[in-house]
Amino acid sequence: MFEAIIIISILALILGLSLGYAAIKYKVEGNPLVDQIDAILPQTQCGQCNFPGCRPYAEAIANGEAEINQCPPGGQDGIDALAELLQVETLPLNEEHGETKPERVALVDEKVCIGCTLCIQACPVDAFVGSSKVMTQVIAAECTGCDLCIPVCPVDCISMVEVKVTINNFIPDIKELASV
Amino acid sequence: MFKQSFKGGLFLDNPFPVKKIDLINIPLPDKVVLSMQQRIGEQAIPCVKVGDKVLTGQVVATIDDNRCAPVHSSISGIVVAIENKKMADKSKLEALAITIESDGEDEWIDNSDCCTENYNICTPDIIYNKIRMSGIVGMGGAGFPTHTKVRIAEGCDVLIVNATECEPGIMCDDALIQAYPTKVILGTEALLYICGAKKAIIAIEEDKPDAIDLLKKFCKNDAITIQPIPTKYTSGAEKILVKSLLGIEIPSGKYASDVGVLCHNVGTLVAIFDAVLENRPLISRAVTVTGDAIKEPQNFQVRLGASYDYVFNFVDIEPGEKNIMMAGTMMGIDLDGTDYYVNKNTNCIVVNKAKAKPVIKECIRCGLCNNVCPIGLLPQQLYWYSKSANIEKALEYNLPDCIECGCCSYICPSNIPLVDYYQFAKGLNKKQQSEQIKNKKARDRFEFRQLRLERNKKERAIMMEAKKKALQEKMAKDNVQKELILAAKKRVEEKKLKRDANTK
Repeated sequence: MFEAIIIISILALILGLSLGYAAIKYKVEGNPLVDQIDAILPQTQCGQCNFPGCRPYAEAIANGEAEINQCPPGGQDGIDALAELLQVETLPLNEEHGETKPERVALVDEKVCIGCTLCIQACPVDAFVGSSKVMTQVIAAECTGCDLCIPVCPVDCISMVEVKVTINNFIPDIKELASV
Repeated sequence: MFKQSFKGGLFLDNPFPVKKIDLINIPLPDKVVLSMQQRIGEQAIPCVKVGDKVLTGQVVATIDDNRCAPVHSSISGIVVAIENKKMADKSKLEALAITIESDGEDEWIDNSDCCTENYNICTPDIIYNKIRMSGIVGMGGAGFPTHTKVRIAEGCDVLIVNATECEPGIMCDDALIQAYPTKVILGTEALLYICGAKKAIIAIEEDKPDAIDLLKKFCKNDAITIQPIPTKYTSGAEKILVKSLLGIEIPSGKYASDVGVLCHNVGTLVAIFDAVLENRPLISRAVTVTGDAIKEPQNFQVRLGASYDYVFNFVDIEPGEKNIMMAGTMMGIDLDGTDYYVNKNTNCIVVNKAKAKPVIKECIRCGLCNNVCPIGLLPQQLYWYSKSANIEKALEYNLPDCIECGCCSYICPSNIPLVDYYQFAKGLNKKQQSEQIKNKKARDRFEFRQLRLERNKKERAIMMEAKKKALQEKMAKDNVQKELILAAKKRVEEKKLKRDANTK
């Protein structure tokens, strides 16, 4: 009887200590659901969802403050993936937020640019290189095609160029095969 | 030397047999079209202008990408156009191409060099650079630049010369060996010198007895072994060849260079001979023209950039509608018409009579594809996952290890073009991977920007606070002084009043 109480007490002590240690050691910082949602979002940081970037939108979805269909760059595939993650019914894209466009990057017309730096301030991912009163240009590899630089340009020298299909990123179509 | 055969694969006869295999040098074409796009990588940048006169062997386009090689003019003449042309590729995309009209002279650039036959007076690095400048790529069809492959395999132990030519119908390697056996041997010696391997194995399928005899006759070097291997389709695939010759299995996701093996096609070795011992860049290649619409299939030594139509002048083609394919019957690409040009990787042109495409039926789960896959994958599983674009699952079943040999598509009783599905899935996988990388970068940059803005704001606030404090201190100091002045003034006033009172 006495031994049993002692053994159980020691066991409880050991397990309690290890649980306590694990709770400190493996503490999850922040909300893991936000990270999962953020991983699905396309990271264009365009703000078309009415949130200032993908992560704020992810936080809003996680808190139930926003619908899952507010992200045009993510397209229907993105909405479906979010629906699957959150175990909710999928929705069609809310067209109030814009339409899904093919992959694009910004291009500055160097002859027109006056070096006002407004685009540098507007760019959410620092894809512009330039300084005041010198010609500015885009690092194409960093540009997410968010369009945020278009309205701020006072001389309309920025255009969005569709990313070309090349032999390196070509994907053969299998819909053709199915219809045969 | 021959260790083991492989599981799977197919025993296939040449569907269009010939009595004698020859390599015919065809006359110079009137014009050539040289594509700037190679099989992968960026497009080369032309370094000539329309109207320029170019000589045979002159560099017309350069590129700073290790996945590509420079382009040389294959004839002498005038550059008449630099414009977009359709590529002989599955994508049917266009790429920039230089059109050169021949002057009929075939006038070569000055290619004299002291370092040719006695190339071993130069360091391997110099010879390596010669290969790099000669625009040599893998001539077996993959078209990967030879110089990059050699560099990656630096310090390798074994050089394998792939003369298996296992794809039924293609005979150009066989013809090339029979025409230039010494070039193959000398080219192999030169490559041995560059890569530093101790021995070379020339692997060749048993169905080419004439070529084997010739190679054995001309090979005087103990470091080079000529190894006949059983005739079975996909025996020439790099991974399978390494396994059957050396008994080494190349792990998933690795290459032959990772196990100390350098593997090159026999056509590449001939090109290396031309570059190293004759100082001539790659300007022509052996091409097999075959198919059931060709009365007598032939092998031609063709200048690069010659049009398919020009090559067809030298064979008897039966009239009627045709299906044209680039490369062999198993791995070939269907082309729409003949408006294409011989490339560095055009090893074969198949001209078949037009037939209705076989009807694609549902998969009946017979499992034949599983039996023939030479890599030991499960094509059926890969098919389901590729079709439903479930890349995660397809990767679990080792999709990237598929060599797209076409055995599964060939054997499929439902005529499902399985390889097309795998190509789709591979393309999608590549896209998703690059998107993931891009997304991560965008996320990091966005978060860093937020951090920076926040930090700037804080720093600004601290700065403003400090300024405010300094100002307040200054004002306090000023106030003290003002009060002192006021007090002094008051004292003076009082004194004045006192004096005035006294005088009164």
